[in-house]
Amino acid sequence: MELNISLAPDILFYIGSLPVTNTLIGSFVISVVIIAAMLLVKKRLKKDTPGKFQNLVEFLMSGSYDFVVSIIGSEKKAKKIFPLAFTLFIFILVANLATFIPGQAAVTFNREGESVAIFRAVMADYGMVFVMTMITVILVQIVAIAVHGPFGYMGKFFNFKSPLSFFLGLMDIVGELAKIVSLSFRLFGNIFAGEVLGSVMLFLAPFFVPLPFLFLGLLSAVVQAFVFAVLTVVFVKLASEIEEEELVEEASM
Amino acid sequence: MELFEALGLNVKILLAQLVNFAVLLFVIYKFGYGPIMKVLNDRQNKIEKGIKDANEAKEKLVEIENKEKEVLAEARREAQEIIKKAQAIAEESKAEVVEITKQEAAKIMADTKKKIEQERAQIMSEVKGEISELIITATEKIIGKKMDAQEDKRLVEEIVGGIK
Repeated sequence: MELNISLAPDILFYIGSLPVTNTLIGSFVISVVIIAAMLLVKKRLKKDTPGKFQNLVEFLMSGSYDFVVSIIGSEKKAKKIFPLAFTLFIFILVANLATFIPGQAAVTFNREGESVAIFRAVMADYGMVFVMTMITVILVQIVAIAVHGPFGYMGKFFNFKSPLSFFLGLMDIVGELAKIVSLSFRLFGNIFAGEVLGSVMLFLAPFFVPLPFLFLGLLSAVVQAFVFAVLTVVFVKLASEIEEEELVEEASM
Repeated sequence: MELFEALGLNVKILLAQLVNFAVLLFVIYKFGYGPIMKVLNDRQNKIEKGIKDANEAKEKLVEIENKEKEVLAEARREAQEIIKKAQAIAEESKAEVVEITKQEAAKIMADTKKKIEQERAQIMSEVKGEISELIITATEKIIGKKMDAQEDKRLVEEIVGGIK
């Protein structure tokens, strides 16, 4: 057995010119599982006597909704951002937890003398994480433009009142770009590192030794899903807030 | 660009994942979030309404209890009044009866007194007559002679008048 670690997901086959990677399939499968679960809940939705599964989903949803309200501080805003935040959370959570289904690492096939893993943690594919990060960051920009207006939004970055505020405005641009990196690499790094650590441990000492790392991975699987969704909500909250300075300006106008 | 290659970033794959995620988001929004939140809200409203109704029912119950107490108190008070009135009436009628009886008794007493007086007067006059005859007889005997009628009568009347 050889240890095969690749930063990029492996391409399994091509559909036309679309390279199909193992994580792409994984994300499809996870999406289908979540969609199926949702449809099941929808089909069996009972008003007053929820079943066990409906209870669980309701608990998850109402709990996270209340949490989002407590972060963002307004029911109206929470209603708008909650579907995205909840979808991010549930998608990342299920994708992360799916890697703990045992036996996945063993499923490989040989291609040109190289073993290619069929299953890979979806969040260990930077592409998937990048897509979700871009959704969040672009949404944050849209919210900021909607709240502050296009000129207010641009004025935040290009401020010519004083050299200091001009510099701070430029730093804000860096800050927005840094959001992409910090948000995406936090999730990708954690899950990818977990994957690598798991496979290294499995390679070095297959019995019992990987267990603590598995527990740690379980923890970070939940925590990372939570953090990603919560950061999305926090970013949107920050973008949707009108700062005091602006209020003063508006009042003096 | 080398970094992108190393990370396995491919525009087509990114697009596929974006579409995938968008579909997921749409489905969760349409079939998960919407209906479930609606059910939760409905249930919450229902529970709130139930609690409100229960509170209202409790309040009403207390109100009814108070009213019941009031009515009972009223009834008791009225009963007491009726008893008092009846007692007063009884007292009054008793006094009346006593009064009537007293009057009756007084009347009988007066009648009796009158009768006794009459009888006494009659007896007195009878006794007077007899006494006067007796005196005449006795005097005749004592004197031993018969006085003439005129003298006699004058004497008797004188004596009787002295007795009176």
